[in-house]
Amino acid sequence: MGHTIAEKILGAHATGSPAKAGEVVVARVDSTMIHDARADGAFAAVERLGLKDLPFAKNTALVLDHYSPPPTVDAANTHIEMRAFADKYGARLFDVGSGICHQLMPENGYVTCGAMVCGTDTHSVTYGAFNAFGTGVEGTDLSVIMATGKNWFRVPETVKVVLTGKLQPGVWAKDVTLFMLGRFGAEGLNYKAIEYKGSAVAAMDIDDRMTLSNHAAELGAKAAILDADDKTIAWLKAHGAAEPKPVTADADAEYAESIEIDASALTPQVARRHLIDDVIPVPDAVAQKISVALIGTCTNGRLDDIRQAASIVRGRKIAKGVRFVVTPASRAIYLAAEKEGLIRDIVEAGGSFDSAGCGTCVGITNKLIAGDRDVVITSANRNFQGRLGNDESAIFVSSSATVAASALTGHVTDPREMEGGQWRAA
Amino acid sequence: MEGSMSSNVKINGAAHKFGDNINTDVHCSNKYTPGKDVDDVAEVAFSRLDGEFHGRFKMGDVLVAGANFGINSSREFAVHVLKKLGVSAIVAKSYGRQFFRNAINNGLPVIECDTDGIDTADAIEIDLATGKVSVAGKSIERQTPPLPREVQAILSSGGLIPFLKEHPDWSLK
Ligand code: SF4
Repeated sequence: MGHTIAEKILGAHATGSPAKAGEVVVARVDSTMIHDARADGAFAAVERLGLKDLPFAKNTALVLDHYSPPPTVDAANTHIEMRAFADKYGARLFDVGSGICHQLMPENGYVTCGAMVCGTDTHSVTYGAFNAFGTGVEGTDLSVIMATGKNWFRVPETVKVVLTGKLQPGVWAKDVTLFMLGRFGAEGLNYKAIEYKGSAVAAMDIDDRMTLSNHAAELGAKAAILDADDKTIAWLKAHGAAEPKPVTADADAEYAESIEIDASALTPQVARRHLIDDVIPVPDAVAQKISVALIGTCTNGRLDDIRQAASIVRGRKIAKGVRFVVTPASRAIYLAAEKEGLIRDIVEAGGSFDSAGCGTCVGITNKLIAGDRDVVITSANRNFQGRLGNDESAIFVSSSATVAASALTGHVTDPREMEGGQWRAA
Repeated sequence: MEGSMSSNVKINGAAHKFGDNINTDVHCSNKYTPGKDVDDVAEVAFSRLDGEFHGRFKMGDVLVAGANFGINSSREFAVHVLKKLGVSAIVAKSYGRQFFRNAINNGLPVIECDTDGIDTADAIEIDLATGKVSVAGKSIERQTPPLPREVQAILSSGGLIPFLKEHPDWSLK
């Protein structure tokens, strides 16, 4: 019997030969990430370990993104501790304004094909877009990896998801995952690794592939791994990654399940208030009025998201009564958007363009709190009640293109029907 | 809880039964009540699910649940609360992924098996070495794959950090 990508990567980092789903292995971890909302837990575990040196902390990125800039004294003090920790143990610090951890890790060479990457965050599955095994862990795990360079892992079963055909213009990876959430339910693939394959994945650019892997967190996935191709390798090389050595699944690999989705038939999708798996096609949701439109987060705050938005709002004005806020996922994306004139397009249309970080994602950042009866449409990943700091508001989740189209009309709107809504990179 | 791998492999206690999809971030953490410490949360844990839980629960008892115990719950704090309460093990049909890791990393045994037929107040026995879960009073015996050797070793050390203090190079020999 052959092996899946997860079995191969975990095995290569444990014994040197492929592992088997269900087995527990002690595997080397190549790089790690701690962000500011979880740093306290990791530092407490480091204290319990009581070691003088953390020899593997040099492979750790400490990211100040959730509280960027810090909205409370506690958050500001956590940041002070993080700066001191980075100096003491030789970790690399990404200070306020650098961007979101899951964007910074690949942008700064911490991720490559076949790598094992752990972060103190569920969306660490993002790194699977680069053919790595990226997974979320907690503070104890992270402290132990910084000390020993290893951790224990249960090798997950893998679900193969084949996206056939090609996404229509105006339909994005976000719509694929929302569709899957509607079908399998939130956490419907709990514990599992996903391997995404097929012509529609091959056609996606890196930004969209990162959305695909990232948003698998809401499906409960332990990892969401894509095959590497020329686009992957060129991107990794341009971002200083270690020599990419792609890992592929064997033709006779054993999958827990194989799913095929016809990407050509997909329409834009939207998850309705409070439930990420209450998903309907956007054309069936157009009666829904919205008052806040947000683009950003580790799921959809990349350059292609901002290009989609700018292409739709350029030269027009957002609807009266709507607040439209865009936060880029990293400083590099911010600067690229500036260079392409996208910030001007968004701001002239009546939007605002905020600093890089988690700002628009969750109420704890204190950057964006929804008001009573506000209806938010966002390109983020979660919409449970109170996510934006107010139980009396409702959050709908869609692609960035759908958010931008909805900002112009004031109700949920299909981007395919808007001028510019069919934008795709040339 | 420190000791060799063969000690402490049998756990006996009264069962306290919960249903499916218990989110431990909601029912036993401070995620939505920032500032509350482990002791504060332990006093009210699960009371919204079962008003009699605190009157009944004794140190060393076992939580029994349906599918997805700890779903959507990634905070280690929840496991610290369970340890503080004195939960000796959890038996559930399945677990939230990160909850499962956190439990083991903090020395709390988590067993995956069918829990239908097991009810609150049943006297339950868990043999960690063989993976057998039984309720003698109801002639229930469920055989599960025993926890892997590494996981048993982490549990018998009392968690991942004490384990590494005993085995700094991860070796089990
Ligand atoms: S953008 Fe949102 S989901 Fe992503 S890391 Fe930040 S807070 Fe978490």
